[in-house]
Amino acid sequence: MQSDQGHPRPSRYGLSHYAIPTVIIAFCALAFWLSTQFDRVPPILKRGIQPSDFPQLIIGLIILLSLSLYIWDKDKTPDPLSGIVWKTIALMVGFVAIAQIDLMLGISLFGGCLTILWGERRPAMIAIVAILVPLGAFFLFDLVFEVRFPRGLLTNFWYG
Amino acid sequence: MDAAFNGLLALADVNLLGLILLATLGGVLIGALPGLNGTTGAALLLPFTITMEPIAAIAVLTTVYCAATFAGAITAILINTPGTSASATTCLDGYPLAQRGEAGRALGMAAVSSTIGGVVSVICLMLAAPLLARVAYNFAPPEYFALTMFGLSMLATIGNGSPVKNVLAGATGVLLATIGIDHLTSIERFTFGLNELSEGIGFVPMMIGLFGISELLFQAEKLHVKRRQITMKAIELPTRADYRKVWKVILRSTGIGTFIGILPAEGATVASMIGYNEAKRWSKTPEEFGKGSIEGIAGSEAANNSATGGAMVPTLALGIPGSPTAAVILAGLMVHGLRPGPTLFTEQADFAFAIFWAMLLVNCLFFFVGLWGAKLYARVTLIPINILWPIVFTFSIIGAYALDQSMTDVWIALGAGILGFFMRRYGFSVVPLAIGLILGGMLETRFGQSMVMLDEKWWLIFSRPLSLFFILLTALALFGPVIFGRRRKKKAVAEPIAEPESTT
Repeated sequence: MQSDQGHPRPSRYGLSHYAIPTVIIAFCALAFWLSTQFDRVPPILKRGIQPSDFPQLIIGLIILLSLSLYIWDKDKTPDPLSGIVWKTIALMVGFVAIAQIDLMLGISLFGGCLTILWGERRPAMIAIVAILVPLGAFFLFDLVFEVRFPRGLLTNFWYG
Repeated sequence: MDAAFNGLLALADVNLLGLILLATLGGVLIGALPGLNGTTGAALLLPFTITMEPIAAIAVLTTVYCAATFAGAITAILINTPGTSASATTCLDGYPLAQRGEAGRALGMAAVSSTIGGVVSVICLMLAAPLLARVAYNFAPPEYFALTMFGLSMLATIGNGSPVKNVLAGATGVLLATIGIDHLTSIERFTFGLNELSEGIGFVPMMIGLFGISELLFQAEKLHVKRRQITMKAIELPTRADYRKVWKVILRSTGIGTFIGILPAEGATVASMIGYNEAKRWSKTPEEFGKGSIEGIAGSEAANNSATGGAMVPTLALGIPGSPTAAVILAGLMVHGLRPGPTLFTEQADFAFAIFWAMLLVNCLFFFVGLWGAKLYARVTLIPINILWPIVFTFSIIGAYALDQSMTDVWIALGAGILGFFMRRYGFSVVPLAIGLILGGMLETRFGQSMVMLDEKWWLIFSRPLSLFFILLTALALFGPVIFGRRRKKKAVAEPIAEPESTT
């Protein structure tokens, strides 16, 4: 409810005030173009609506709502992201790269690095997060729930 | 009657009862840990429940829902940090009481109020849901379409975010639901030729990403926040005088919470705020509120727990989630191939009643688990977040992978997590996106069926009384806050002193 009442209009909007609706509208424009590429049902077989009709209706609604954000959105621009958040996101990107080699290795390295990044210095604690927990989770899912993990550098030792 | 008895019989299994006890302990733990809440907990547990029988799976999810809602009060009282957002108002009076050495009294009152609120609301659920389902049994696609629209429109009022942003997020969720093969025509949409996307975006990885991984990134911003903990030497239960003072508050808040819970998309947080405000408004000693009022705790806790039962009414009877956690439970029902809605009470009545009994059981269980284990949970809350959240990440990723054993789901969870984080930072709630994703398929199917039924004359939807009624409600939900907000503003300008205290 907050943005319609009670908030004083900031003297100057931040970049995000214009950037967010613009990004959403650009995304919608792309989605709309993609929706025009869908196959169509021949008129003789058509019952109800074409596959592109409903998505296009929703895209239109999203564009309208985004346009209204230019005028009525009074939310303040948040403070810039702290370095630790950017580093955490960077670790996630690193996880994506390492998971291509081995999912469990990626999880293990991400867990260990994140614990250290967030200030943990005790080796035992880091080992629990980086080794024991992923190992325990792996065997729990593999042996109890019969989940087969993707083969990789480490998992090949188990799967042979 | 037979269904109720059969449901009870289905629950009378030692393994299932053990599982519910375990889920209660887990739910209380999840609710007590700041940052984790019932929705995140249910989303993280969803993959674990896939291999279970449907009754066990849904019982576990509902148990976590109820127990976590109560457990938010433990940290709210002991360390002034609400374990869940629904317990934010419990902090106001719980922590001052704890500082005065009356943590046990506060915890006892929270446990009693939550238990009464929860039990009464489940009884309402048992009575109201089948009745509502019987009414909904006569709904045709246009009525369902209008009802789903109403459910989505209620997203506008979720949390403290802007209504426009909430609806925008909900509409984005509906758009994401169109990815995959169109059920009406079997034509692929937005799949980019990827087989993994032909079935659409999975609910489970999306939920894990939106609620679990986005919260991990949020926690990174809170690393500097230090928690103060109260030492609790003895559990001192509330006195008879306390109970005499609060019984009316508990009953009133239970009614409020159940009603708020039944409204689509409204959850325990809104219920607790209104319950607390009403307790203050009716109190003979409103000046004590915020300084350690036992009525404040009762008002907030009875309301937030009674909202859990209420929220399950539209979830089970109509297939429209009554709260964010109910949306995850709805996803769980769908994953198990169950169709929430009127047919659930005719074709799978035993199942529905087994869930009701499980909820009733857990509402009684967490009274003991919560009260006796309070000291232990107070210690658990001290797990440093730099240990807790990497562990949550491990289970999030494995959980996202486990359902379909597909790496695409892992990437979806990560993408949803980062998207959810930035959405929250810029004032968009992730809850509407999740609910939009769940309801999107139903909305489109009902729309398509309505078009077939009405011979593509969409305006005929307005000619049907029930659909017209829901469309009017939708308009009220969307434009009401704007219209009434402006009126209140004008009144406030004219009579600045007469401005009433906000209730939300």
